[in-house]
Amino acid sequence: MDDRLSAILRRERRIKTVSVLVILASTAIIVFAVDFMLVSFVMAFVVNYLLSPIVNSLERRGLPRQTAIMIPFLSTGVLIGLGIYNLLPVASTQFTLLESQLPKYQVDLANLVSAAEERFKGFSKLYNFSFSQTVNSWVIAQTSALSSSLPQFISGSMTVLILTPFLAYFMLQDGRRISRTVLSMVPNNLFELALNLHHQLNAQMGGFIRARFLEAAIVGLVVWIGLQIADFPYAILLGVFAAVTNLIPYLGPLIGAVPAILIALISEDAMVTPSISINLFIVTAIYLFAQLIDVALIIPFVVARIVNLHPVTVIIVIIIGSQVMGVLGMMISIPVASAIKLVFQTFYRHLTELRS
Amino acid sequence: MNYLWDNIFKRTRREADVHSVLRENILFEDLTDRELRFVESIIHVRRFHAGEPVFRQGEIGVGMYLLIKGRVEIFVSDTFAETDETREIFITQLTAGDFFGELALVEDNGRRTASAIARDESVMVGFFKPDLMEILSRSPAAGIKITLRLAEVLGRRLKETTEKVSELRQALKELREPPPLEPGDGR
Repeated sequence: MDDRLSAILRRERRIKTVSVLVILASTAIIVFAVDFMLVSFVMAFVVNYLLSPIVNSLERRGLPRQTAIMIPFLSTGVLIGLGIYNLLPVASTQFTLLESQLPKYQVDLANLVSAAEERFKGFSKLYNFSFSQTVNSWVIAQTSALSSSLPQFISGSMTVLILTPFLAYFMLQDGRRISRTVLSMVPNNLFELALNLHHQLNAQMGGFIRARFLEAAIVGLVVWIGLQIADFPYAILLGVFAAVTNLIPYLGPLIGAVPAILIALISEDAMVTPSISINLFIVTAIYLFAQLIDVALIIPFVVARIVNLHPVTVIIVIIIGSQVMGVLGMMISIPVASAIKLVFQTFYRHLTELRS
Repeated sequence: MNYLWDNIFKRTRREADVHSVLRENILFEDLTDRELRFVESIIHVRRFHAGEPVFRQGEIGVGMYLLIKGRVEIFVSDTFAETDETREIFITQLTAGDFFGELALVEDNGRRTASAIARDESVMVGFFKPDLMEILSRSPAAGIKITLRLAEVLGRRLKETTEKVSELRQALKELREPPPLEPGDGR
């Protein structure tokens, strides 16, 4: 290659690489800086990956892409609407009951903690820290914070509810065209690498998100049905909570079980089985059964095949995710970490193996 | 206004070029018009400067290139064991309508066995493994037609290579064992 051509290629490659990086960085800035955009974007990605196999399957049957997108979109909308219509009265009754019982649970929890603390002091003379006081003030602070942030939370949820389907629709409709346009700007020497990386990331993310949602749905369903059979209060709310928290790897199942176990421990309500110990045993058994199905069937056959990360790495990235972005960070930490691993591995192989 | 019309004209002409080259290519010749339009929405049009490498020997390849405009030369690097010196051996020159690198469509992280360098300002259609996977997933009928044609091309290339190897083996044998002397040869 002569010097003139080398100079032209170097300049062109630099301009193209910088342009692609600027586009990606601007997208990242918009997503992170605009209020509720990150949550909406993540949820739209999730909807996109959940619906794309259905859209592709309809397209295979000869439907135009736009129709193939509209069918699952409208069906999901109708299903969610029907679900809300049927479950909302029950859920709202349970929510009202929970709201009225919340101050009582607060007091009961404080009593439970101080009783445990008294017992603990008997074992250790060195223990002088007032744990009950700390817990009590934390619970009061959290309860008041919850009530004051509720209006903002509701308005934020509305924004997310409108933005998510809008973004998801365009991701399904124009996602490929947008990524093709961005890829067309990649310089020739990196094009095959970028295209292959994009394909692998897409396949990995899609597989991971679908597996995690299947997992969460099964866990939530088992918890809901189990608690309903045991005639435990707030079965739907606890089922939904268990499903959502199950999306947090490792810690999620524990967090999901905490409210039910606390209610079983502190409640002396007439609705709950009179004996606390039996109640606690039933609740623990239901959550363990849900986790057993998850650990024995779903994780080994579905999730483990998709993300190849060491358990220690998983714990570390979850902690980092929680510190950077809270609960959302914990949920997206694993796919983000596995994507970073894939990008690093691909570039490393490209840079080292070719030279050798 | 003229500028606008010029651009529209240029774009349609390029699309028409891509369409006609794809239509005449063996891999896509069985596709219906609708399937071909779908393939056109998936493939990548790439431009190369004269002298710019399309790919280099040893790189991981993920697909093939189909020449729309320009020329491409194929080289193989050969290293002499005694001197460790590497030289480029010219293999062939390709022109509009020719395609190369199709083995990468079926290999898993396969490495390029030769280097391809654009000789003129060239336009090529890139058709890669993720594109073939997408076609197979969204339009399996079109995907199967392309894959069968690809198998035919690879089979034909294998056959040609086997014939070449046989010829070379025969030539080598003749070099090692010269034909027996005829009576009265005078040597």
